[in-house]
Amino acid sequence: MTNIDHILLFKTNISSFADKQALKPVLDGNSRIKQWNIDLNDCDYVLRIESDTLSAEQVIHLINHHGFECSELL
Amino acid sequence: MRTRNSDKQSLVKQKAIELLGRDGFEGFSVNKLAKACNISVATIYIYYKDKDDLIISILNEESRRMAESMIRDLDPQLSFEAGLRQQWKNRYAYMMENPSLGRFFDQVRSSTYQKHFLDNFMGLFQSTIHRFMRNVLDRGEVREMPLEVYWSVAFAPLYSLIRFHFEGQSLVGHPFQLSDEVLWATFDLVVKALKA
Repeated sequence: MTNIDHILLFKTNISSFADKQALKPVLDGNSRIKQWNIDLNDCDYVLRIESDTLSAEQVIHLINHHGFECSELL
Repeated sequence: MRTRNSDKQSLVKQKAIELLGRDGFEGFSVNKLAKACNISVATIYIYYKDKDDLIISILNEESRRMAESMIRDLDPQLSFEAGLRQQWKNRYAYMMENPSLGRFFDQVRSSTYQKHFLDNFMGLFQSTIHRFMRNVLDRGEVREMPLEVYWSVAFAPLYSLIRFHFEGQSLVGHPFQLSDEVLWATFDLVVKALKA
């Protein structure tokens, strides 16, 4: 079972399939990300990341760097 | 550190079944669900990847539970009447304990999720029912007829009565409450209709 302490959740503006595809190589290619998913059906476009080592700040920085808004979902 | 909270998890499941049963899949969202549960959206996303993951995992779990409760104590060797009576008991108990699940599965039936239901429901359920029906037919207790005809006579009356019960009234607007007496009197008529 997934360790729930290693799930990071963010509110984003990654709102279309094209946006998601644009980020796919970035997220797939990051060896510290075990699994990721974006819920395009949700109004917060929730980005869900499973990682043992990344911090929320590091993910926010990564997503901002690629031109999308990203803040921790509380 | 987060703690896995099984109370919250079952609240999420229960509310999701209620909302989906009431509003269907179109209007459903994780946000609405979180509001209904009075918890943060994040709590739901800890357990489920997205809306689809949530729906499919609840559906898989509930379909298996439904199959198990419908064949409870159904010995394939039972006579037709005893076996059908057991199935009525099981279905009746299941529907009365889980009124919102009935509406939830109605929504599932007309959605693209129906496949997930069938995949999880059929296995054990089908093999038990098949053995029961094979025995019944071998003994010549019931006339041969298409499955759909059989089901409509065998179970649709039960579901109609349960529906009237939940609506609190019959077709003509009379107040209606399903009593054991009415239930089993209907059952006797059904058995009479199906017996060879």
